[in-house]
Amino acid sequence: MSAVRLKPLFHYCNREEKPRSLHRRSTNLSFSSSSSSYANNNYDKWPKLFSNFCKFKHHPRLCSIRASAAAETALVDTDASSGRLLFSETFQVKRVQKVEGKTSVRLDKKGDGGNYQLTVGCNLPGKWVLHWGVTYCGDFGREWDQPPPEMRPPGSIAIKDYAIETPLKKSSSVLEGRILYAVQIDINANSSIAAINFVLKEEEMGSWYQHRGRDFRVPLTGQLEEDGNTIRGNKGFSIWPGAFSQISSLLLKSEGSRPTGEKHVGDAKESQLQNKHVEGFYEECSFLKEELVQSFVTVSVTNNLKEDNTFVRFDTDLPGDVVVHWGVCRDGTKTWEIPPAPHPPETKVFRNKALQTLLKSNKDRDGSWGLFALDKQILGLVFVLKLNEYTWINNMGSDFYIPLTGKSSLPNPTSKSEHKQTFGTVTEPQEEQTGSGSTAEESQAVAHVAYTDGIINEIRNLVSDISSERSTKAKFKEAQQKILQEIEKLAAEAYSIFRSSSPTFLDEEPVSEPDEVLKPPVKICSGTGSGYEVLCQGFNWESHKSGRWYSVLNDKATDLSSLGFTVIWLPPPTDSVSPEGYMPRDLYNLNSRYGSLEELKALVNRFHEAGMKVLGDVVLNHRCAQYQNQNGIWNIFGGRLNWDDRAVVADDPHFQGRGNKSSGDNFHAAPNIDHSQDFVRNDLKEWLCWLREEIGYDGWRLDFARGFWGGYVKDYIDATEPYFAVGEYWDSLSYTYGEMDHNQDGHRQRIVDWINATNGTAGAFDVTTKGILHAALERCEYWRLSDQKGKPPGVVGWWPSRAVTFIENHDTGSTQGHWRFPSGKEMQGYAYILTHPGTPAVFYDHIFSHYQHEIKELIALRHRTKVHCRSTVKITKAERDVYAANIDEKVIMKIGPGHFEPPSGPHKWALAVEGRDYKVCLCQL
Amino acid sequence: MEVSVVRCSQTSVGKVEFSPRKLGFCNSMQICPKSKRIGFDLTRRWKMPSVRVALKAIRSDISRSEAVVDEKAMRKNSPEKPDDCVRLFVGLPLDCYSQQNARAIAVGLKALKLLGVEGVELPMWWGIVEKEGPCKYDWSSYLSLAKMVQDVGLKLHVSLGFHATEDRTAALPQWVSRIGETQPDIFFTDHSGRRYKKCLSLAVDDLPVLEGRTPMQVYEQFFESFRSSFADFMGSTITDVSVGLGPGGELRYPSFPLKNKSQIPAVGEFQCYDKHMLAQLKQHAEAAGKGNWGLSGPHDAPRYDDSPDSNGFMREIDGSWETQYGDFFLSWYSNQLISHGDRLLSLASRAFGDSLVTVSARVPLMHSWYKTRSHPSELTAGFYNTATRDGYGPVAEMFAKNSCKMIIPGMDLSDEYQPKGSQSSPESLLSQIMNACKGHGVHVSGENSLASSTSSGFGKIKDGISSSEDGLASFTYQRMGAYFFSPEHWPLFAEFVRSLDRIELHLDDLPDNGARVPSSTAASEQINDRHMQAV
Repeated sequence: MSAVRLKPLFHYCNREEKPRSLHRRSTNLSFSSSSSSYANNNYDKWPKLFSNFCKFKHHPRLCSIRASAAAETALVDTDASSGRLLFSETFQVKRVQKVEGKTSVRLDKKGDGGNYQLTVGCNLPGKWVLHWGVTYCGDFGREWDQPPPEMRPPGSIAIKDYAIETPLKKSSSVLEGRILYAVQIDINANSSIAAINFVLKEEEMGSWYQHRGRDFRVPLTGQLEEDGNTIRGNKGFSIWPGAFSQISSLLLKSEGSRPTGEKHVGDAKESQLQNKHVEGFYEECSFLKEELVQSFVTVSVTNNLKEDNTFVRFDTDLPGDVVVHWGVCRDGTKTWEIPPAPHPPETKVFRNKALQTLLKSNKDRDGSWGLFALDKQILGLVFVLKLNEYTWINNMGSDFYIPLTGKSSLPNPTSKSEHKQTFGTVTEPQEEQTGSGSTAEESQAVAHVAYTDGIINEIRNLVSDISSERSTKAKFKEAQQKILQEIEKLAAEAYSIFRSSSPTFLDEEPVSEPDEVLKPPVKICSGTGSGYEVLCQGFNWESHKSGRWYSVLNDKATDLSSLGFTVIWLPPPTDSVSPEGYMPRDLYNLNSRYGSLEELKALVNRFHEAGMKVLGDVVLNHRCAQYQNQNGIWNIFGGRLNWDDRAVVADDPHFQGRGNKSSGDNFHAAPNIDHSQDFVRNDLKEWLCWLREEIGYDGWRLDFARGFWGGYVKDYIDATEPYFAVGEYWDSLSYTYGEMDHNQDGHRQRIVDWINATNGTAGAFDVTTKGILHAALERCEYWRLSDQKGKPPGVVGWWPSRAVTFIENHDTGSTQGHWRFPSGKEMQGYAYILTHPGTPAVFYDHIFSHYQHEIKELIALRHRTKVHCRSTVKITKAERDVYAANIDEKVIMKIGPGHFEPPSGPHKWALAVEGRDYKVCLCQL
Repeated sequence: MEVSVVRCSQTSVGKVEFSPRKLGFCNSMQICPKSKRIGFDLTRRWKMPSVRVALKAIRSDISRSEAVVDEKAMRKNSPEKPDDCVRLFVGLPLDCYSQQNARAIAVGLKALKLLGVEGVELPMWWGIVEKEGPCKYDWSSYLSLAKMVQDVGLKLHVSLGFHATEDRTAALPQWVSRIGETQPDIFFTDHSGRRYKKCLSLAVDDLPVLEGRTPMQVYEQFFESFRSSFADFMGSTITDVSVGLGPGGELRYPSFPLKNKSQIPAVGEFQCYDKHMLAQLKQHAEAAGKGNWGLSGPHDAPRYDDSPDSNGFMREIDGSWETQYGDFFLSWYSNQLISHGDRLLSLASRAFGDSLVTVSARVPLMHSWYKTRSHPSELTAGFYNTATRDGYGPVAEMFAKNSCKMIIPGMDLSDEYQPKGSQSSPESLLSQIMNACKGHGVHVSGENSLASSTSSGFGKIKDGISSSEDGLASFTYQRMGAYFFSPEHWPLFAEFVRSLDRIELHLDDLPDNGARVPSSTAASEQINDRHMQAV
């Protein structure tokens, strides 16, 4: 939400004893009212702008509120003592106020071994979390890395792959008389950590606290450049509320980030840092934290028996000047009128529509009060409070209404009917609307709401406002601000929609040409193959052990083909430091633990004969060196591609590369290749083309595709024109404190972004779907299998033709088991991916297990029904214990223990495959 | 996305409704001193466009009264005088016929409207509208888009496309493609017999190959159907209609390959080898008394990826192009193209002549090898333009004859970014074409190339618009989509739009506007006017 729109909702005012504090509140007046106080809503003169705000809900919580109101009237009734109390009510007002606190950062030496302990503390109560990461020695730039596990204090949670969140705990220490919340991090002397970076997060308010607009940074070695942002500076904090991208931070920064504390305890001078490790130090910084503060406004009405007057008394503890912007009503319509003079002191007439009365401030305490004398004929008083030019308080979106006559004031059995009566008057007569310009205009300041749909009309109004003589500079600026925010919002919205939808291709529509036989209509796209592919992962983590895996597969080729697989993914073929092949060394040496070059060629040939395509597993992100450079670093390559350190990315600390910075994430165990350089790309293209020709590979499985930009992948694909290509883009799903989020749009967006960067030339493994299946099956939460739009929640829901769905691979399962599919539920997973769009991949271990028969049945059904990678899914059930979907109106499937029967209707459905907790039915025509 | 900055000629009375507003712009300089403009804070990137919008509103508001006066004055003026004001048009994705992006487009339209853009360009495909079969037109998806545009208060520039796109977002109607299966000679054909199936050959224009109708009749009925279906929009929301004259919607032969793997653009091949083209060539040669020249195309013509000097025809020195035969062939080849354009544009101007819309068509900017003497890329594309002959005069003349506006792409290209060795010069070619248009009084609209734009590209466009003193009629920016709204691109575009306005102000700074004092009574009138315009 943008600054201007928020502005009127916030209430700034200054407390005398804390001149710097900034009060904000949103208009959630906790509201207690007798049922008759249906305030006249003068904003409905601007129905377009304010309709959202006006949807105030009436809570006739009569008894309880009544009690509290009565209790607090005790302190109210002083002046009109001779009268009869007709009405009294206390409105609770919640505001946000800023409290000044201190954060301490302490680095202590622990023993002589060069170990350190970092203590970060904060002396305000709250749900504090330290959001932190480290910079390793030799790393440049500001990227964070995750600290090694032994450094993470108990209770830490990994955020993505670069940060840790550790909650602060109440400690026994005290800072400035308040309990310190603190967390300790131990730093081992042997770790190669150059610095610790962190920000503080307060979870109740959702605010982030930075150090001078950037991350806190505690250097542990002297080699870091001093860029003015390390903790040993002496400026205060800036507050950074809300989510990272919010614009409101701009506003708040300017208002709230005045450097407040200037503390520089500890005497470590920068000059002492030149060498290896630093001395301990201690430092404090001040910051402002937002807290919710309750205020009240009490209104009491007394009847003076002697004179024909009614007294209305206002009392509030709201600090600063409080102006009551008010009018009276003579009938039930709640139309604002100005009462006849005399008016209370300090009253101004506002545009012939309302009065503005400044309340008198209390001498002994915060707040102010006022007493208005009114004619007895007046039925009610309507008001809103104005704290300053931008800050108005209303009653849950409508005006406060105070009934002045005894009979309607207190809750009574007739209030219901009165409710109706007053409610009816909310819709005002037409002529009233025309006359109410000024009030309406005024109330514009109270609430700004973005209405995308009505925006054009709104602009028109703004334009006419601008041109009118009334227009002021402030108004004009406001209009500008509003428009610019609207433009920004619209552009961002358009971007997000466009980005999430794949381009429309005409040839994706089914073509029914009569002369189909002459030319196969199948368009081959390297990301999808024919669209009818079923992939087999032809190895597991142990396959290298036999030393003759290629021969093993050779014998199974016919089997695999008859199981219905159309594509097989073979293990990485090159010379490798690790036996599994994922640490490639000499790319042109294809003798590996899986077999020799000749055996590989024969195998590929064998599969081609069996009618299957073959994918080569190519590791392009990193490559192991054969030689050390003069510093003893392994970054000189051998073999035909005898690159040196110029081919290695510069930001990998361990390998001293001289190339450019990596265009993706780093794989830390081997030198990461710098794909941004032409010679590297040309060499790799040549190598890939050689693999295509020499070995006969039909396509690629791209290892660790996160490691470099998808655009380079496009380059490689374009150069090699594979039949099928799939990239491994594997990062973690989003979890909130150990529980997987339902919405994994961010996760799949990253994968889709990668596919998009390859220009759709490569597909990607649908890690999102696997993750969601995990949660759904493991916890019996099948509702997770439908996203907010009723589509599949994985990549397959957004870009099915480029999603390669799988439930297990050599990393997640096999003997590694990094992220194993819920045991015993594999067939549910296969029932899902083998019936759904996307290109399903089946893991070797599952093929040659007791599941083989069921898998075969499912693949056969997929081929029979011609379900393909762009098939349409209609999710018919996504409940706690059952998920059901209709694919292409040809297949109905369900998984989960819950009950499901195919619908009766024009189509008849016959059970085709069934197993534990899953069922697949076919349409019988 | 396409942005057209239109400097319309006031040729039709229906356009007068724009003039008050435009004149408003002009006068604004006197009313709003520059100091009133808000200081732009560069860190807040959205600020600029919005400020511009708001100011624009004021400007147009205050200056109502003399606008009315001037309107009358202008009617007396020569209608040929280009209106000095710049309108902005913005276009839509090629695949906007699919409902998939309807919401994104709706949102995008609003953003553009707020940014101060005047309208959008909407590509309409033959392959979508007449998809079901001959004369079975379905305009529904485009009608709803037009309604959407109208509701937002934008103008519409409709591009009628009779070709298929390279990216497969649009195809020929299936019934046409099917005819092509049996009669492949309705397609352009190259020397080795490869068919270009994304567009009909111009040689079949008047042959009844499409189930009894000639392509010209098909186009004519298509125009007619369009006109009646969009009658409510014509002249009000729809202000421009452009007609696709060939491959990629441009007046040219499909002479260069779709996918060009090498860095240096191809010289291309002549596309005169379908049955009908060859027949016409033969006839033409016989009429000229050179029967043996009509048997085939030039035997020494280049292959697609050849360099100009690797073949006998295009060679800079002593190339066949400079021989009598070369002149014979090239004249015929280019005249075929111009006559095709003439046929189609005269149909269009007849169909839309009384509809208060401007008819336009696109010519290509075949800029590679421009610095060689033989201009091979232009020759194969059908423009007989060499170091010794101006090939664009006749083209401009044809546009002038049909009162059509010319759209030229590649306004963002600059010589310095062209691949080395390609002898390319988009800037010189552009100015040659512009001069030809100027000479024949043809108005010109610009477009950028399809490549994604950079800030330098925007700078180039801006220079082009401001430097052409006789006025670029419009500019079309390719094209709305995810990239267009992305954080990398959108700010550049917004900045571009804002800077266009500055150009406009420079123009308005000219002294001949005189000192005019707005009357305050004008304001209220103007409010009403604004409402009417925006509705």
